Amino acid sequence: MAHQAHAYHMVDPSPWPLTGAIAALLMTSGLAVWFHQHSMILMAIGTVLMLLTMYQWWRDIVREGTFQGHHTPPVQKGLRYGMILFITSEVFFFLGFFWAFYHASLAPTPELGGCWPPTGIFTLDPLEVPLLNTAVLLASGVTVTWAHHSMMGGDRKQAIQSLTMTIVLGFYFTVLQAMEYVDAPFTIGDGVYGATFFVATGFHGLHVMIGSIFLAVCLLRQIKHHFTSGHHFGFEAAAWYWHFVDVVWLFLYVSIYWWGS
Amino acid sequence: MNRNIFALQRIARRTFSSSGRRLENHVPQKQKRFQENDGMPIHLKGGVSDSLLYRATMGITVLGGAYVVYELVKWGCPKKA
Repeated sequence: MAHQAHAYHMVDPSPWPLTGAIAALLMTSGLAVWFHQHSMILMAIGTVLMLLTMYQWWRDIVREGTFQGHHTPPVQKGLRYGMILFITSEVFFFLGFFWAFYHASLAPTPELGGCWPPTGIFTLDPLEVPLLNTAVLLASGVTVTWAHHSMMGGDRKQAIQSLTMTIVLGFYFTVLQAMEYVDAPFTIGDGVYGATFFVATGFHGLHVMIGSIFLAVCLLRQIKHHFTSGHHFGFEAAAWYWHFVDVVWLFLYVSIYWWGS
Repeated sequence: MNRNIFALQRIARRTFSSSGRRLENHVPQKQKRFQENDGMPIHLKGGVSDSLLYRATMGITVLGGAYVVYELVKWGCPKKA
């Protein structure tokens, strides 16, 4: 059997980039079909294909790293750069929505009554559920750090407990935010206030759900002994993503909920 | 008193049920299995379930891709009223 003379990972040919690309095509054209022909079938097929691709692609990465040992230090460095670049791209994604919010709110048009919040908009009290949500996410940042230190210290039980607590807090945030959405006195259609509020907080909520799933996968892997005290990058990536989600919320809270009320 | 506590701890840690087996570390066995020199690519190396899932995924990819091309051609060539 030939052995490589370098520490890098030359991956096996994989079908998942193709299936993922076709899934994106099916989801986007499915969206157009839904808008114009009122059928959700294509979009549903695209979503199923996307989920199958994600499951199998990430399963293969776990096999390559944890079971085959391909994630040497240089490879791990590349994975770290990759995750940092991805999170940076997400920062720019949210930057756009904050730009839209500040563009509308710093110079409110006469149509809004020349004021912010616009005339007729009853904002949510920032000291009620939004403040609780802030406390919940900040606490989850503490518990995920606790989980990391437990993992580094080889304390398996505490790592599992604190990681579970982090996921429960994330779920609690999502439930609270969903209740806020249902009870809000304004909708996404209520002018630029409603649009900026629900698009910015909505995408944030989606990222909380994605982050919670990422952490849950890490919990499963921690239970299955995949992580060691010195090598647990999958968990670190999830923790970085979780801190990013927390920071975005802090900006949302200060800008939209507090200053914007 | 301490000896009794230690004995109790030892008994409490012993698990004979299948839930105990689930908490054991199976990574060394997985490492051995996935490092076998069988020439299989990583996405099929897990066995029959890998192939079934792969075929189902590729099936949806091909059929879905063909359907989208059909829809796009249909939209691109509208029939005259």
